[in-house]
Formats: sequence, structure tokens, C-alpha cells
Amino acid sequence: MEQEITQQTIQKNNLAIPVAIVIAGALIAGAVYWSARGDNVAVAPQPKAEAENTMGLKNMNPIEDSDHIRGNLNASVKIVEYSDMECPFCKRFHSTMEQVMDEYGKGGKVAWVYRHFPLDSIHSQARTEAVASECANELGGNDSFWKYINRFFELTPSNNQTNIATVLPQIAREIGLDETKFNSCLASKKYDKHIQDDLDNATATGGNGTPWSIVVTKSGKKYPLTGAQPYEAVKQLIELALQEK
Amino acid sequence: MKENLKNLQVAFSEVFSNTSCIALASTLAIAAFLFAVWLPNFGLIGEVFSTSSAPLTAKLKIAIALLGGIGTNFSFLSAGYTIAIATLFGINLAMIVYFLKRTRAGLGRQNLAAGVGGIASGALGIGCAACGSFILNTALSSLGAASALAILPLHGGEFGILSVVLLAFSIILISRKIAAPLTCTVK
Repeated sequence: MEQEITQQTIQKNNLAIPVAIVIAGALIAGAVYWSARGDNVAVAPQPKAEAENTMGLKNMNPIEDSDHIRGNLNASVKIVEYSDMECPFCKRFHSTMEQVMDEYGKGGKVAWVYRHFPLDSIHSQARTEAVASECANELGGNDSFWKYINRFFELTPSNNQTNIATVLPQIAREIGLDETKFNSCLASKKYDKHIQDDLDNATATGGNGTPWSIVVTKSGKKYPLTGAQPYEAVKQLIELALQEK
Repeated sequence: MKENLKNLQVAFSEVFSNTSCIALASTLAIAAFLFAVWLPNFGLIGEVFSTSSAPLTAKLKIAIALLGGIGTNFSFLSAGYTIAIATLFGINLAMIVYFLKRTRAGLGRQNLAAGVGGIASGALGIGCAACGSFILNTALSSLGAASALAILPLHGGEFGILSVVLLAFSIILISRKIAAPLTCTVK
């Protein structure tokens, strides 16, 4: 009798693991299904943002010559990044994107478009730094813009710990820009609207944090990518986007 | 304190000598972890799986690669409490299920409040404090949550820590109940 009960218990325990795996699978599938339907209102307290995350992508401003583009404008895949220069995750993602451009940029497969998304509420210096990068662009063109932000991310520790009064002109000097003209540009308000337009477009496309990226395929299909995702994730997404004709 | 530790030891050895409880706790912990790490990119996962014409393996590769975000898209603190919340969530729920199955009695209000509070604050604490992508930020954007969070020393990471504390408290409470002898008390 006792042996029978023990056997029944063992049988129940043997069933427990497969049942648990099925439940886990159902949970994950449910999450994916809800998000695929775009109505994950019921599962996450972030419904509006998640819905906007994909629906808002159509609001992305078209990529134009006036954008800051690294790589070939006619590349099969374009990654539009909305970035905050004081965000430590943008700094990290900047390195990831440099790795992406090393692998895919030279062959003309991927182009990187940089737009501003300064989060004033937590990074009070980010907007001024965005203006500084625009001044670098004005004085030295697209190459200087990229040199400026590359050096900025390399040099600064993020989270408002940079002395912008000295560091911004220092970078301008290092990359060979006229420091007087740079300071005069920085003091002017001429790029305020441009920065604000980028920021407004970031939020209109569904961005609610940085870095916020949109991967655009040759056919114009858009994929949202939130955060400083690892190189492997970006690479897999690029490979998938390259397959879309 | 000593008694709580003893209760935890007794309850853990009782609950987790059961294979089904280990499986349930692990499953729930893994599900909570996946939810937290994938949460910022549910939109992407949804798009990839529902609209892309790429093969399924390519889609799965993206979902798996995104899990690496725990190392790149979370600060050391937020990665720590995200893993802790997922683990404690699994343990807590498995213990509650075990207790309810054993006694067929309801949970105390205190226990329920601690458990639910822990899970709720954990959900609010998920996200990136440094870059404003907290759920709370998004959910309460119209009420200026971003500015409110900016005032907090950890910019909202407090919710994650609170969640760990509440879930741990909930586990202590349920352990006390499980470790208590099954007797009828005289009133």
C-alpha cells in the first residue's frame, strides 16, 4: 500500500517538470502574442508607450542629406539613433554602433543616422552638448560632427559629470575647429529649434528613453530598438533587416 | 531574527524537497526575468515575430540575443535587483502555492500585501534609471514623473530595492506559516 502511494508521488513529480515547462512556454508565447497585437495594455503598465513604440514609427522624419549620416546614404539598412550625450547607455551604444559600422559600414550595407534626444529632466547638460555637436558640424562639416561626438563619448563620463565650459571648446580645438567661432556658435541660440525638432520627433516615433533607435530596411519597413542592446542583438537585427527586400 | 532564519530553513527544506515546487519557482523566476529584460523591446519582438518574412531561426536569434541586454542595458544596481526580484518572485509564489495546497486556507492580509506590493514596486522599478526609460516614467509621463524621479537619489531605482525588501518580507511571513505546526489552537 505504502509502495503504491510512493509510486504515485513519483509519477506526479515526473509530470511536474514538463507541465512547468509548458506553463513557461505559454507565458512567454502569451507575452509575445500580446505585444505582437500591440495591445499589451493588460500585461504591462506601459501600454501607451508600447503601442506607440511600433505605431509611432511612421512619424519618423525622413532621412535627408541634412542629417548626420555615417556611411552610405543609399545603404540597404539605415539605423536612426536618437541619443542623449550625457546618457551612459548612449555612450555604451555608441561603441556598439562603431563596431556595427566597422563590420557593415564599409561594404555599404548599413548607414548610421544620428539625431538628438536630450533628456533635460535627468541630464541638464545634454542639450548644450547637442548644440556643441551642431556647431562642430557647422564649422567643419559632417566629418567634424562625427569626430566631435566620437571624442565626446570617449572623453566624458556621462551623467552630468563633465565640466562643459572647458571640455566642449577643448574637443573643438582638438579636432581642429576655430575655437572662437565655436564658442560664439555655442553661445548663440541658432540650433535650439533643430535640437527641439529632433527631440519632438523622437517622442513622436515612440521613444521614451535613450538610446532609442529605428532600424529602416530597404523596403522602408521600420523596427524599433530600445536601449543599449548588445552588439549580437543589433547584428542579428541587421541580418534580418538585410533579408527584407 | 534567529527565529525567522529558523523558519526560513524549515520552510525551504519542506517546500523545496518537492520537485514540482522547484520547477514552479524556477519557471516563474525565468518568466519574470525574461519579461523584465524583454520589456523595453516588446515592440521589436512583436514586429519581428508578426510581420517579418525572415525564417523563424533568425527571429529567435534576435529574441535570444536581446537577453544580453541585462549586461549592457541595465546598470549594475538595476541588473542586480532585477535578478533578485525575479528569483524572489519565483520562490515567493511557489511557497504560497505550496502553503495553499497544504492547508487549503487563505493567506493573511499582511502576507498578501507584502507579496503584491513587492511585485508591483518591482514592476515600477524595471527600466533604465540613467536614461529615463522607467515604466513609471512612461506610465505617469503626463504627471511629470520624470522630473519627480530625477529628485530621488537613485532616480527611481528605489522602487527596485523596495521590491526586493517587500518580497523578502513576504517570504519570511509565508515561511512562518509553513513552519508552524499543523495544530488547532485553543482560543
